[in-house]
Amino acid sequence: MSGLPGLMEGRVVLVTGAAAGVGRGVAAAFGSAGAIVGIGVRRPEAAEETAAAVAAAGGTPVILQCDVTDAAQSAAAIELLVRDFGRLDAVVHNAVSGRSSEATDFENTTLDEWEDHASVTVRATWRLAVQAYPYLQKSQGAYLLMSSPAGIEGSERAPFYSAVKAAQRGFVRALAREWGPDHIRVNSVAPLAISPALENMKILEPERVKRIEGLVPLGRLGDPETDIGPPSVFLCSDEARYVTGQTLVVSGGRFTSL
Amino acid sequence: MASSASTLVIGSGSGIGSSIAQRLRSRGDSMIELPPTLDLTNAEAVGESLRSLVGSGTVDRVVLAAIDPSAFRSAPIISLAEAEWDQAAEYSMRAAFVSLQQAYAVLADGGRVILILPTVVATGVAGLVPLCTAVETIRVMAKAVARRWGTRSITVNTIEVELAAFMLGDNDAGETEVPVVPVLGQPALPPASAVDDVIGLIDMLATPAAGAITGTLLVADRGTVMQP
Repeated sequence: MSGLPGLMEGRVVLVTGAAAGVGRGVAAAFGSAGAIVGIGVRRPEAAEETAAAVAAAGGTPVILQCDVTDAAQSAAAIELLVRDFGRLDAVVHNAVSGRSSEATDFENTTLDEWEDHASVTVRATWRLAVQAYPYLQKSQGAYLLMSSPAGIEGSERAPFYSAVKAAQRGFVRALAREWGPDHIRVNSVAPLAISPALENMKILEPERVKRIEGLVPLGRLGDPETDIGPPSVFLCSDEARYVTGQTLVVSGGRFTSL
Repeated sequence: MASSASTLVIGSGSGIGSSIAQRLRSRGDSMIELPPTLDLTNAEAVGESLRSLVGSGTVDRVVLAAIDPSAFRSAPIISLAEAEWDQAAEYSMRAAFVSLQQAYAVLADGGRVILILPTVVATGVAGLVPLCTAVETIRVMAKAVARRWGTRSITVNTIEVELAAFMLGDNDAGETEVPVVPVLGQPALPPASAVDDVIGLIDMLATPAAGAITGTLLVADRGTVMQP
């Protein structure tokens, strides 16, 4: 078993965007830490694999319909966890726009494309915080945002994705101060990990993936469950009780000066 | 010293943007200003306004200092309605995107884009989550376009100044409430006009010698917040 067994035993966590990729890996890592894991997804039928991974790791999966751009859905997901399990200890906001892996033609695109990114990564970051606040205050819990190295260095290909991921870093730094008196910790993780888009690239453009891997001192892209999951679990656990307002870059050493 | 280059100032309606525009105008720079009442999130209106101001020519420098004033109101996030969050945080992001996009169309090759922002993210400020969120978004958007526009030798850099300087420029606070930014102490350097400090950096970035500087953050706060 990988991860941090027992670290989140009996704790209740909501992970958004948990149907695949980093979200699924992080959810499974919370499972291996003993958590009750709310698997927030737009389409519940797409969450079966994640639920199986959480259960196999030793956690308790709860599939929740949670399109984070829909205020009622995200509120209901949180309320359901609290109703059924009596508490909420952490929210991990990992969901991104379905267009996040697309290139953005900044000079010619419109605000509609910006809205696709901002609604999921900026507005939902704020809204989930507001909705979870009373419960996180009670549990003295944690809010974790899955950001990106692109949100620190800026991406030529993905200027909107970069910008909204940067938004989360600014949000974390300010909210950590605002919620510090409530003992709610607010952090972010900037992972470099295998994603569905990269899996696809491995098939279509294997040389490109090799080039990317060549830039990583540890020689490979991160595994969502075993590389990105444990640091994420740690940041939401009591072991990180004195860590707030931080962005932890988990990139195998690819980004060392951000 | 006056510059013969043409400068487009966006956000000249208030605060440091207004003071920068005034200073450049009074020293005789060739200046273009977008009307302060223009909705910067309206790409069509901004584009049209720019075309009417610039005609068939181009501008050499763009100074963008546009944060919606609602972002300066200190309030816990849980007290904000969605429309308030949008205005305080996301409006300025959209305005930055539209301004940069539309300015690009009138910018000369080798041009300089300089964004002015308040230095609030390095420390984070309780009560100003929307502002901190917007500022970091815009700063990284600038880095992304710096990477994109380098092929035309256009540089894009950000200058950050203290929040009070950003909000007020050369003006006295009067009845304006300036939120407190948690810093350890006083500036390392003696006090001076932040507008002068910024104008100096704008001029420096416009020189050929600064042609290799792009995507950077210059903090002109006289050593108040020293970045890690």
